[in-house]
Amino acid sequence: MTLFLFYAIVVVLGVLSMGFQMLASRLLSPHYGSTIVEWVWLISTFLAAFSTGSMLGGWISNVPVARRQRLQVATAAIGVAALAVTAFYSTPMLDWLELKFIPDVSQMNDQSAAGMNEALLVSCLGLFFVPVTALSSFGPQCVGWLAARGTPSGQASGVVYAVSTLGNIAGVMLTVFYLIPHYRVSHLMYGWLAVAALSLTALILLLRRPTPPSSQ
Amino acid sequence: MLALALTPVFAADAPPAPAAPTGDYVENFDTLYNSLTVQRLGTMVELRARSRRGEFLESAVDQADPLKLVVEYTRTLYAAALFQPQPKRVLIIGLGGAGFHRLFAQTWPDALLQTVELDPKVFDLCQTRLGFKPTAQTPVTIADGRMFVKRDTTQWDWLILDAFRGGYIPPHLKTKEFYQECAARLSDRGVFISNLHEGTELFYSDIRTIQSVFSQVVLFNPPDSGNVIAFAVNYKTPAITDPAHWENAAGLTKLFKGKLDLGYVSGEHIPIPDQAVATATVLTDDFAPVEFQNVVKSNNETKVPSGGTTIAP
Repeated sequence: MTLFLFYAIVVVLGVLSMGFQMLASRLLSPHYGSTIVEWVWLISTFLAAFSTGSMLGGWISNVPVARRQRLQVATAAIGVAALAVTAFYSTPMLDWLELKFIPDVSQMNDQSAAGMNEALLVSCLGLFFVPVTALSSFGPQCVGWLAARGTPSGQASGVVYAVSTLGNIAGVMLTVFYLIPHYRVSHLMYGWLAVAALSLTALILLLRRPTPPSSQ
Repeated sequence: MLALALTPVFAADAPPAPAAPTGDYVENFDTLYNSLTVQRLGTMVELRARSRRGEFLESAVDQADPLKLVVEYTRTLYAAALFQPQPKRVLIIGLGGAGFHRLFAQTWPDALLQTVELDPKVFDLCQTRLGFKPTAQTPVTIADGRMFVKRDTTQWDWLILDAFRGGYIPPHLKTKEFYQECAARLSDRGVFISNLHEGTELFYSDIRTIQSVFSQVVLFNPPDSGNVIAFAVNYKTPAITDPAHWENAAGLTKLFKGKLDLGYVSGEHIPIPDQAVATATVLTDDFAPVEFQNVVKSNNETKVPSGGTTIAP
């Protein structure tokens, strides 16, 4: 049962991460259009967040237990708070950012204009980087937890990332083919926020459970 | 400093197309946003966009008669003159092959026809293959249409929305918020014109969304094209839904010197399908399932949706 819950949470975190990327594209397009340049910055931001989150999570995995637990709570709280900012304030923030960086028509005669790149860089970092980094930081900790229960470390790593990637795929499919056609993006963002808060809370509690003696 | 560092990395300027081949030819170009085919057969040059549903005729020019409006729906765009017969400033979002532009520039040589086109390669091909030569009166800006409208402060007499990528329609150009931005850029008697595709649920959502912003909307249906052109205005009187209040089509036709019969075009007026529109969705930035509605067939007879006309499966 514990393992089932563990894998279920890993899947949910995968769904949240990549489904969020699809929602992010809908948040950006009214402000920056629907261009390949927008996707460059969106995908790059998410990959940078995955990378940073993995580094952060790997470091948290190896600190003493008491500090690790505090860092887990702090990371989850920061991630949920950042997601809340995106859910509630993305439209006014993007309104401000796009006009700040690309104020007039004369600066728009080329999609590659630096103003466009800067605007997208700041928007993507400000709205999407922190929550995805926080979600990603739990990946290595899940590997560490599974390895501590007796699964060989290589296998634990493979299983966690395989399950997480399946969650990524499910997240993209579910968001694009069902959620966006049926629900408002703002409502979906509220849903993302609630599910992230619940799943991270559940995961933190799960990671605190003592390792079974038989697997020591 | 960051701007300088980033610009070369993400420079989107594609090298210009080589000179057009002589004689008949077919060329394919994969651009940042489109897969394009340019074909010359005799004096006719076509610009087509490839998509999963075949090739869509974006524009065509008869080089023996460049002012001829080859693609049916481009004639219908001129029905805007029935509501605003003296366009001094016109904005068109979507260049295509500039099939609309040549006749406009001849008919109203002092008017400004500003074009916004997303794909720089389309602009390049339009010049090198379809013979379009932008002037001070027909400038082209490479940008997203919505970003342009949001920043531009001109009051347009005609604002034409004709932005497709093959069969793909950018969702952010279909929403109530965008139409509100367009409505705010119209002159007192300005007309908003949008090229719609009938035959899917999106068609009814399009009309309902336009109705949610503009005071009056009328539809024109070029025969056998699959396109419906919506004309919308901010004012309530005179009633443009009543053809008796339209400008004299016969008089306007003289302006076009035999290239366009507005009397014929005015006969393309069709009623709004109120029953289907009443239950349709108002598209917003928050909820715009455009890609999905665009593949759900409506219960009405389905014609070929297009930026122009579908050529091949």
